[in-house]
Amino acid sequence: MFKTMFKPLFQNKKFIIGLIIFLIFLALGIIGPLVYKVDPTEMTWDFEQPPSKIHPLGTDTYGRDILAQLLQGIRSSLYVGFLASVISLAIGTIIGTFSAVKRGIIDDLLMSFTNIILTTPSVLIAILIASYLNVRSLEVIALILGLFQWPWFARAIRAQLMSVLSREYVYLSRMAGYSDFRLIIEDLIPTIATYSFMSFVLFINGGIMGEAGLSLIGLGPTQGISLGIMLQWAVLMEAMRRGLWWWFVPPGVAIVAVTSALLIISTAMDEVFNPRLREE
Amino acid sequence: MISKQMWKYIFRKLIFLIITYIIATTIVFLLPRIIPGNPLSQMLASLSQVAQANPEAIRAAEKNLMEEFGFGKPWYVQYFEFVSNALRGNLGTSVAYYPRKVLDLIIPVLPWTLLLLLPATIVAWFLGNSLGAWAGFRRNTWIDKGVLTTSLIVSQIPYYWLGMILIYFFGVRLGILPVGGAYTQGNFPSFSWNFFVDVLKHYILPFSSIVISAMGGWAIGMRLMVIYELGNDYVRFSEALGMKDKRIYKYVFRNSMLPQITGLALSLGGALGGALITEIVFNYPGTGFLLFKALTTLDYPLIQGVFVILIASIYLANFIVDFIYALIDPRIRLGQEE
Repeated sequence: MFKTMFKPLFQNKKFIIGLIIFLIFLALGIIGPLVYKVDPTEMTWDFEQPPSKIHPLGTDTYGRDILAQLLQGIRSSLYVGFLASVISLAIGTIIGTFSAVKRGIIDDLLMSFTNIILTTPSVLIAILIASYLNVRSLEVIALILGLFQWPWFARAIRAQLMSVLSREYVYLSRMAGYSDFRLIIEDLIPTIATYSFMSFVLFINGGIMGEAGLSLIGLGPTQGISLGIMLQWAVLMEAMRRGLWWWFVPPGVAIVAVTSALLIISTAMDEVFNPRLREE
Repeated sequence: MISKQMWKYIFRKLIFLIITYIIATTIVFLLPRIIPGNPLSQMLASLSQVAQANPEAIRAAEKNLMEEFGFGKPWYVQYFEFVSNALRGNLGTSVAYYPRKVLDLIIPVLPWTLLLLLPATIVAWFLGNSLGAWAGFRRNTWIDKGVLTTSLIVSQIPYYWLGMILIYFFGVRLGILPVGGAYTQGNFPSFSWNFFVDVLKHYILPFSSIVISAMGGWAIGMRLMVIYELGNDYVRFSEALGMKDKRIYKYVFRNSMLPQITGLALSLGGALGGALITEIVFNYPGTGFLLFKALTTLDYPLIQGVFVILIASIYLANFIVDFIYALIDPRIRLGQEE
């Protein structure tokens, strides 16, 4: 089953390009800081230097190495995005599944709750929550972001499960005496697996973007360096008005590269698995 | 023109939005009270520490703050006071700008944010949808591939980062546009031609950074919608009848626009978040800039006030979009959809 599922994916050019770009940045984040052993917080006298042999991406106002910051930043941002994505996916799956299986009043209540969160300007609530926390670790940031991006996923999961549950093969499996657990594993999970994976990928994007936004408004993680924190430092020191392009360009390029690679992966998966998009 | 079914639809939407607004303000009310290590009492403690500098003003601010947050009263009294005050437009007194009222600080900056956000969002929505529809109709041509690839990348550029690039390139490198602010310092707002041109010059960069990065997402969504619609039976049927492509496209375009209108309402919150940060990057004197100052001085009454106003504006905009949707969608206008 898996072979027939994944083969067409690896024949899709877009998917491969997206995957390669993402893997490069994943490797930069994981292995980068281990290979390039410069302390990103070490201040030196070479301040505001453009890229050179000693500092491949130059230095900031305090003489800190931008490349070291960037590698550390990619690592933190990916971590926040991944964690926020897991949280959103878990909440969305639980609420969507409960709604579809239980129906009735539980469904009504859960769906009104979902719609309320969907219309709530989540960015604003996230900013508000973050403003009341004195210490914000990467995990706390991921939690704040993860708590608000699940509603559309929950609705989609509910709709898909409801349509699957009313199909004949599910009915037949029930008649054949399948346990609920076996039903879920064999009949339900395969139908939502690809959609969940695509959403997972997009939730990572939400987490990375959200972290950058919170950081720029001054509410990012209070310790460590992320891509958002790098941009915030650059804005605080007026890097763009003083022409220090090597400071604010790399973190933005990293954000755009990682998030668009993930978006391309999810779009390519949609093209492969969605019958309404399959080329005729 | 407005049928009974439409009134029913609008009424339901209104009730839903009011409930959502009450919940949102409840969150604004609850947060400072449930987060451990109550930041408000910490703020009061730090206020009394620096009371030597300007003892009278700070003590007055402290007393005011205690009263406005209603500490010491039962929670339901606090909550009732908060909601009734918020509804009457009394958002309390700022701490950093004591003794100015929060509402008086927000009202002068709000127009700048609306001036930036609304036109930019609508232009981006319009351009993005047209571009996406164009690509969808010409599926698998180089136009489609070009639009899709560009949109996939451009849609992921944060507004504020594009803003930073534009400031550097057009403001610093080429030196043809101002690098920040909404008008030249010392040039006081007035209804003169000079002031208008000055504002326009300052407006181009923040406006373009929002339009360009918001466009991509709409183009991707619209392209997908058009492709879905083109696969419908009515399109095949019309083709079989020998209807001209142009006419079919018109029908397809109209049907594809409907979900995009709902999408516009839902995207406003995120767009506002992006615009607030763009204002900070551009030193643009809007709500985002005020919020940023309030956050750095931990001026909680001002922070809360900004949120109450912004959330209310988002819901109002949501309601307007829902209303337009009801006017456009015949299923609601004629009451065919329950």
